[in-house]
Order: sequence, then structure tokens, then C-alpha cells
Amino acid sequence: MTSVHVAGNEPHARLSRAVRTAEGDRFLTELAGQKLRLNGCAAAAYAALYANVDVITAYPIRPYTAIMMNLSQFIADGILDAEYLHADGEHSQLSAAFGAGSCGARAFTGSSGVGVTYAYEMYSIISGARIPIQMAIADRTLDPPGDFGSEHTDALCTRDMGWLLGWAATPQEVFDKSLIAMATGEDPRVLLPQMVVQDGYFVSHIAGEAELPSAAQVDSYLPPYQLPFALDPRRPVSHGAQIHPEMGPPLQLERARAMEDAVPVIRQKTDEFAAAFGRRYPHFVEEYLLDDAEIALVISGGHSVTCRAAIRRLREQGIKIGMARLLWVRPFPSDDLRAALRGVKAVGVVETNLGLGGASYGGILSLDVTTALYQAAYDRPLVTSFMAGLGGETVPVAEFDWMAGKLGEAVARGRVEKATHWVGFED
Amino acid sequence: MAHEVVRHNLPLFDEEGRGAAADDQAGRDLHYLPDFPEEDPFAAGHRTCAGCGPAIQYRWVLKAAGEDSVLAGPTGCMYVANSTYLCTPYTVPWAHTPIASGGSFTSGMAAGYEAMIRKGRYPGTYPNIIVMAGDGSAADIGLGSISGALYRNHDALFVCYDNECYANTGIQTSPTTPQASMTTFTPFGKANPEAKKLPPKNLAKMMAAGHPHCYVATTTVGYPVDLMNKTRKGLNHVGAAFLHCYTPCQKGWVYQTSMTVELGRRVVEAGLFPVWEYDPETREYHYFHPPVQRPVTDYLAMQGRFGHMLPEHIAATQRAANQNWQDIGMDVPPDLRAGEDPAHHKRLAEETYSMPLNRGIGA
Repeated sequence: MTSVHVAGNEPHARLSRAVRTAEGDRFLTELAGQKLRLNGCAAAAYAALYANVDVITAYPIRPYTAIMMNLSQFIADGILDAEYLHADGEHSQLSAAFGAGSCGARAFTGSSGVGVTYAYEMYSIISGARIPIQMAIADRTLDPPGDFGSEHTDALCTRDMGWLLGWAATPQEVFDKSLIAMATGEDPRVLLPQMVVQDGYFVSHIAGEAELPSAAQVDSYLPPYQLPFALDPRRPVSHGAQIHPEMGPPLQLERARAMEDAVPVIRQKTDEFAAAFGRRYPHFVEEYLLDDAEIALVISGGHSVTCRAAIRRLREQGIKIGMARLLWVRPFPSDDLRAALRGVKAVGVVETNLGLGGASYGGILSLDVTTALYQAAYDRPLVTSFMAGLGGETVPVAEFDWMAGKLGEAVARGRVEKATHWVGFED
Repeated sequence: MAHEVVRHNLPLFDEEGRGAAADDQAGRDLHYLPDFPEEDPFAAGHRTCAGCGPAIQYRWVLKAAGEDSVLAGPTGCMYVANSTYLCTPYTVPWAHTPIASGGSFTSGMAAGYEAMIRKGRYPGTYPNIIVMAGDGSAADIGLGSISGALYRNHDALFVCYDNECYANTGIQTSPTTPQASMTTFTPFGKANPEAKKLPPKNLAKMMAAGHPHCYVATTTVGYPVDLMNKTRKGLNHVGAAFLHCYTPCQKGWVYQTSMTVELGRRVVEAGLFPVWEYDPETREYHYFHPPVQRPVTDYLAMQGRFGHMLPEHIAATQRAANQNWQDIGMDVPPDLRAGEDPAHHKRLAEETYSMPLNRGIGA
């Protein structure tokens, strides 16, 4: 395993399933099958409660803080037995979750905005060590300017660090995706940490209906966390020893393959989730009215809710538009996206993020989308991108209408006007 | 129903005549240590330098802790010299951590074991959880992370192996590098003949004063029984413990490789590294009063890193040492007081000093 060596061939010491408290059992029995009004933060906290996490590492920053506030209350009420570690900063927060996960404890953490970037050193280290902790992120714009609003740049900054990374668009999806991500990340074929991201405020602080399962359903879907190479005195291992440069290429290749290997496991865990809980999500890409679409918006996260409404109205006006929503950004679903966009003539990527000075001089997502489409075996669609919702500004229906107009012009003209449109700044 | 967390209680070694050093003429046989454990969780086969102080400390700490231990090692010389992929010297579980994560990663390990044992996931006794961080990690980039861990009072032992420089990266100054020491970031030259111009951080006092519920102690590789007993006291203390250990670096300090243990005693006898123990129950400091008090030149002149020192620099170091003597409740002998005057000194390179007796282990 990457950056880990195991001495001897003894079977690893297995850890049993964590017991819940009596109060926790009672609480979850009452919840089973209920539909609650939860915001995204509460939904993430409930997922950690159901997963019976062992260690929670917290540090306050808006807006994700409410996840940790919910969890600290669960602990105070005796519903959840977990070590709640208030770290001295996000770097320590991630380090502590890493330490707990390395010992075989199920560890849960989270952050927002500059908190995500403050911990940056840890992302490559944790994924390279193959410690599958979970991090809940409620997006927040990076400084400057000081801004509470949502922008996807915080989590997207970490996209190449080897974590499973995906956005949930509703509180129900936050709850469900947290479990799907954990089941995938902890699978011995994957062993990768996961970022389950929700838009700050739009998802994290607006309540939606969420149906909660029984503890037994979650326990049968999510097996106990078993790290094959835990720091356990019964079977000593060394983690993270130094290598000589000639070991670099094979070890990095393994890390790259771990991402590829995660793709079929995400499919499997998504299907198993549907069987166990009755809610079926697309594996990677939600295809909304794409079958006969001539133009399409590629989007990720909570603004997809508005986008769907805009597309329904445009359809009523006879405009053949659809939407492809990315449920995962890492591993990037190149195959699924190509399949979803077959037949589309022009694609616009909605960028709720900032990629300063990149190939499109706009956002980050369009670079991956364009690369994926370049390899298409069919006639490639035109691709442009739309900078929208920056700083946490809403993206109203009218802006999606405007984007559709630009895509229509591109189809008519046979080329895009430019690689990046700044929505609201152009005619 | 939560499971009980059972903790180790390690017996202490007999300190009779061995806990502290005797003077030069006495006590050589006391360094024969037949009652020490045979197990060596820090096994042979690493790449530390000849005379490496931190390697001696690692070995004593892990001997004292035993096999039911989990160890973390932040980046530093003891990461690079000890861990080569597929070949590490640890017979206990060990993990590298980033240099700033010594305290926080170890917090996570402690929290993980607390939760796993309580929730019935791990059937054993709570293991000895130890991190050994260099002075760069503990006093500089990872200071906040260790302070956070001590503040939260995780049941773990946080050790700083202090070789008074960033040795791994080529001997750069750290917050514990002594004033007037030469490092590659504080060279001496015509414009600055002193080399390092700042006095060191008092790391252990900061840890004790700032986290008064913790067991905090200092020691050196000159006192193996003391080092091992303080390790065990720190591990037995339920909650966080911090051990600051002086560990000479032959490569960085430029001295004869056989003098590591000797330096570990001379630094105490010169008043430059007070050895003490802080008791969180009584909130009292217990200072070791060495039987010998030496002029600082007896210590400085053994090391190349001080070879450039001028009389005023030596006098300033003696003033700092005399302040330490007073701080630990010892009188300053007249000849050491006289050493506060630069006129009392020559350039260090020309000083005569008492030659070290080879009184270390294996003497």
C-alpha cells in the first residue's frame, strides 16, 4: 500500500463494530423512517451520528460550524459516544483526524473557506497514507474579500490531492452522500479520504426534507471501519517512511490508480445504497432533460436546483436545453459526462469558483470538462464557461436564461464567442 | 454500555545514586544498568550519525515505554535518519507526521484509542502513546499543535528531543539554539562576530506554566535513569505529559563523537540546562542541584559551534548561566560570578578548560 509497509504476513488485528450508547439506540429507533426538516449542516451531522464515528475533530469557521455544533450536542445528550477534539486550527484538526484514522478509529472532520486551505499540507499526506477519514465542507469564498458567501473554490483547491470529492445539492443528498462516500472510501479496494461538499448557506443553512433510516439499515450498508494497516501494537507497522527517488514513480502510480479504482466502487456503493435505502442517485452525472438537448449546462452543487427550474421554463419556450450535474468531481467522471453530453451542440460550464489565470481565464471545472470532451468519439460540442454566483451571490433564473442565450448564439454561429463569460458583466 | 479504559502503570527504576550524576571522581560504575529492560523497540539498523544524542534518547524512551506503545515522529532528523522505506528501526507501530503535526496527530491517536476502547472496538489496554518531536517541531512550527494537545490533556507523552538546531536541513537556528551559537542561518562574520544574537526560548517552562495540569520535566542524555523514569512518570500520568530532553548533535555542534553523554552532564553542571520536574498535583517545580558547578567555558570549549566566541560573548553566557543557578535556588560561586566580566576571558579558542573525563556509558 502506498507509503505503508507491513512487516510479516500475519492477518491484521480486526476491530469490532463500535457500540452505540443506550440513549443513542433509543434516539435512532425513534428517528427511523421519519422525515425531518434538516438543513445541510444538520444532515451531515446526522450522517456522522448514524455512522457512529469514533473521533470528531472540530475548529470553528462559518458556515460548516453548525455541523460540529450539532455533533457536540449529540455527545452532550449522550446520543453519540465519540471523542470530540477541538483543535487549535484546521491544520491540527486534519492532523488529529489523520492520527485517529491511522489507529483504526472512524474519524470525521470538516471546514469551510480559508479553513480548508489552512489545512492544505494535510490533504496529500492523508490520501497518500490511504487513511479514509471524512471531511464535510460547507463552501465559503476564500479571502479576499472577507465574505461568508459560498464559492466552490475552497474545496476545488484540493481537487488534485487524492481525495474523493463531490457536491450534494440538498440536505437529503448531504445525508445520503456522506454515507455513500464513507462506504466507498473505507472499502479496502479504495481506502481514500472523502470530501462531501455542500454549498454554504444555500444548502448548509436552508432546511429541506430529509428521510432518516434505521440504525440497522446504516449498519448493514456501512461495515465497521477496518484499516488493514492500523497503528496497533498487536501488529506493528510503520507509516510514511522516507523513500528514495526511484520509489517515487511506482508509488505515485499507485495513488493515481487508487482514483481509477474508486470509480467502479462508487458505482457499486451508489447501487447498494439505492437497494438499502430506496433512494437512487446517478453514479456520477445527473442527466436532466439531456436526451434531445442541443445545448446543455454542466453544473455542480446547490445552484443546480435553480438551474433545473430555469431549464423547465426554457423548455416551455421550446429551447432544447438540458443539464448535466456532476455528483463527483474527483474522481472526475469523464466517461459518464461524455455519454451524457452525446449529441449536444454547445456546452456551458457554470463556474461557481475562481481559477485565476487558467486556460479559460475563468473557472476551474471547465478545464476538466473540456479535457473530457476532447476525447469524445463523437462530434465534440462547443464549450464555453460562465462565471456566476461568485462570493456567494445567488444565480437567479434570469442568469441561466442568459447563459442559454449565449449557448444558442454559439450553436448558430458555429463557434463560441469566448472561453469565459462573466455573467452580469456582459450584454 | 461503555467499556472501561484500562491504563498501564509502569514501575520506576531504582534511582539510588544514579538518578543524578555524581561528580567526576565518583559513580562510574553506576552507569552499569543491569535492571533495564532488554527489549529495544528502537532497534539497530538506522542511519543516525555516530554519537547521535537523539538516537540515545529514542532508545531510552522506548526501552522505558516497552512494546505496548504507539509512536509518532514528526519530520526532523530522526524521521529522515530512522525511516527508510521498507526498513524502519521500530518494533512498535510508528507513523510519520508532518513537522507541525506532532501534537495534533498524537492527539488524534490518543482520542482514537480512548474511543475505540470505550466503544468496544479495541480489546487491549490503552497503549503508551508517544510522540518525539525535534526542537524545530516542538518549539517552532508545531508549538501550537503541542500546546493544543497539552491543553486538551490527552493521555500521551509529548517528548521534545532538543538538539538545539534544525539539524536535518543542515544546522539552521531554532528557538532553542543558544545565543552566540553558530548555525548556517546565524553565521558569524566581521559585521556580526557573535553569530546567533537571540537568547533561546524556554520551551519546557512555557509548557509547564501554560498547561499547569500536565506533568512536565526536563532531562538530558547524561542521566539515563532519570530519562527513563521521567518517561515512565510521564506515561503513568493520566493526561498529557511533556518531556524536554537535551540531546547533543555531533554534526551540528562539532564535537568528538564520544562526548555526547558527557555533554549531557556538562550542560547541567555549567548551569545552561536546568534539569527539573514539575508536579501538577502540588504545582511545584523540583530542581536537580548538580554536585558540580562549572564555568561555562568547560562546556562551550568542547564544541566547534562556539569556537568564534569573544570574551564578551562568553561573559554574557556566564551571566545567563548564573541567572539559571539563582533561578533553581543555587548559590553562584565567586569564580562563576567573576566570569560575568569579559576581562575574565580570552577568545574561546584560546581558553583552557577542564578536559572531559570519559565517564559516559562504556567508559
